[in-house]
Amino acid sequence: MSSMPKTPSRFRSRSDAKTPLTPSLISALNGISLSPRKQTHHPADLSNPFISKSRPSSPIKRTTSGSIPASDSFHRQATVGVIRKGGVESRLDVVSRDYLPPPPKPELKRSRSTPATRERAQSGSDRFITTREDTEVAATLEMLSLNPQSSSPGHTARLAAATGVPLNRRVLAYHEPPPTSASDSTLSQHRELARPLYARPGALPSSNGTATSKSRKIPTQPERVLDAPGMVDDFYLNLLSWSSQNVLAVALAESTYIWRADTGSVSNLGEAPEGSYVSSVDFSNDGAYLGVGLGTGEVELWDVEAGQKLRTMGGHQGQVAVLSWHAHVLSSGCGDGSVWHHDVRVPRHKVMELLGHTGEVCGLKWRADGELLASGGNDNVVNIWDGRVPEAVGGDGAARGTAKWTKRNHTAAVKAIAWCPWQPSLLASGGGTNDATIHIWNSSTGARLHSLKTPSQVTSILWSPHRKELASTHGYPTNALMVHAYPSLERVAEIRDAHDSRVLFSAVGPGGDVVCTGAGDENLKFWRIWEGAGAKKKGVPGAGEGKEGRVKGSTRSGILSIR
Amino acid sequence: MATKQAPTRQAITLKGSTNLVTEFFKYAANTILFQRGVYPSDDFHMVKKYGQTVLVTQDLALENYLERILKQVNKWLLTGAVTQLVLAIISKDSRITLERWVFDINLVDQPADPAEPAPAKPESEIQAEIRYILKQIVSTVTFLPIIDDPTVFNILAYTHDSADVPADEWVDTDPLAIEASKSQQVKLRSFSTDVHRIEAMVAYRYEG
Repeated sequence: MSSMPKTPSRFRSRSDAKTPLTPSLISALNGISLSPRKQTHHPADLSNPFISKSRPSSPIKRTTSGSIPASDSFHRQATVGVIRKGGVESRLDVVSRDYLPPPPKPELKRSRSTPATRERAQSGSDRFITTREDTEVAATLEMLSLNPQSSSPGHTARLAAATGVPLNRRVLAYHEPPPTSASDSTLSQHRELARPLYARPGALPSSNGTATSKSRKIPTQPERVLDAPGMVDDFYLNLLSWSSQNVLAVALAESTYIWRADTGSVSNLGEAPEGSYVSSVDFSNDGAYLGVGLGTGEVELWDVEAGQKLRTMGGHQGQVAVLSWHAHVLSSGCGDGSVWHHDVRVPRHKVMELLGHTGEVCGLKWRADGELLASGGNDNVVNIWDGRVPEAVGGDGAARGTAKWTKRNHTAAVKAIAWCPWQPSLLASGGGTNDATIHIWNSSTGARLHSLKTPSQVTSILWSPHRKELASTHGYPTNALMVHAYPSLERVAEIRDAHDSRVLFSAVGPGGDVVCTGAGDENLKFWRIWEGAGAKKKGVPGAGEGKEGRVKGSTRSGILSIR
Repeated sequence: MATKQAPTRQAITLKGSTNLVTEFFKYAANTILFQRGVYPSDDFHMVKKYGQTVLVTQDLALENYLERILKQVNKWLLTGAVTQLVLAIISKDSRITLERWVFDINLVDQPADPAEPAPAKPESEIQAEIRYILKQIVSTVTFLPIIDDPTVFNILAYTHDSADVPADEWVDTDPLAIEASKSQQVKLRSFSTDVHRIEAMVAYRYEG
């Protein structure tokens, strides 16, 4: 018996072949290529599922018998003379009678699915092998472009039988296309808004001005606040210095004070001469001496322990806004743009003069090994000088130094200069209000390695001795203390409004964990931002009863008046 | 299609069965749309159904669209007009059919002998079968080719000629078949109520 043309399942293994078909006949029948097959190249894509050529196994299967229900009706169809491409199941029947359309039966209508279903159920082993469902074929005769309307019902039925396309099926789709994802654009908007949640905390400015990374808890409140009345709100001055002996020197107007962090005691070191003011202070490397620069251009040398002025080195024509020590050499930056090296041991102290700035020198730092000296000026220039200083000077003229590198990238005054403690060739420089950028240089090659744009003028930069980070203090408009990671320059912390006015001065403690900042709001604030990293903590201890200080309040965040 | 012999069965009725089937289509369609990334996954939220969590779209437009379609399908199911439901996933730009999810709808044979009605299929069993299908749909991600391009879907209903089709809502279209040489099919599990039997199959476009 021939197979049902309507169920083209390849592995329909049941056929009621009434004639025993030998395998040879099977293969011969399989080889038959019948005309409707050619229609498979129709653009409607009718690969005729009846052809089972590609499944050599199934014809064998098909010879195993089984009954296909409703086969009688199809038997009648089969006798029409259309050769079934079912291969095995097809019979070469001679047309002997007219085609009688099979009576509509539910099973007939279901013929596509139900018998196949049953067969599939019976052939359990073939479950997941691809089946050529008739749904892939043109679902209706219209698809075959065999217009059923124009032909006789008999012809139509034959066609339907031949191609396996049911006569009476329609493929319908809803007239509207499905909606596009309505949230497409809005969702991307939401994703944009949500992005800050996924961004590294601290990477974005926060509303309350403080942002720290999750793993690091940087206290946003100062550990200690000291009252510093009279502190001058001048960007160009450098009125803070913290020695290696854990002594902090602060210049308030014309007086210089020493605050011993270990004991918390405050002492007045000295006064500037009448009519003058202190414009800079800097401790020597060993902390024994303090250099004090005056507005008149003199540089004083004080013995800290004894509290005595040792000498006054004059000669500068403008205020000495910045000082930097290296061993026995005290370098001073002047308002006229010159940098002098003073050898404090010899009477003729001025041993060298560096002329590289056309504006006031406000930033000056020796590299720790003394090889290079970096200076920044009001002319937006950063100069890196060779650190060699002649031992003796002949005549009255001092040797002239040469700038190794001159960098003009900044667009505002460069007061913030700092050398990296763990990578000696690195120099960080920060520009003023107009610039607000930190540049990091390789002093050996002169290359600019990194640039970091900050929200406000950079007033000072401090490298962390124990972590790979650098801190920067800022003025307009955020008055912030910021901590950045190096070399990623990711923002580790930002403490906005650290002071009520511009944070102008800063120094890092010898323990490398506390940073002191000073501003025109007459406060000195101590921030423990690099807690416990590395070296022994020489933390700021609780303020004891100072001899001359009035201790108010608790040790932490107490106000200790210096005067 | 004969109406159910309601008196002899306390079990599921035709109406109940069609509702069950329609509901199944709704969740199956949602699951497919989610799994295949036709709509952004954020659009979907989880609901408890069939004893497990399934993802359903929150997008109102899409929900309404599916509602309208399934309402009509429900009507057709009642009359037995629809034989197959296809969810075709088409690439938005090239309009190539990438996948066809085919659900055959058959009628379960009524027992010939009304005097001995077959034992009603418990609801839990039906639910279990539906669960299996949904889980299987989710698991197809393991072999279905990854879809990178934006896609749209289309639901096709294969009905009889005699079906009552609201002409303004449903139009004849082409079956969106996958090119035969590039098509692979996998038959999925089926479930049946006492009245309907739903078979699932996925055909996907596969190069090479």
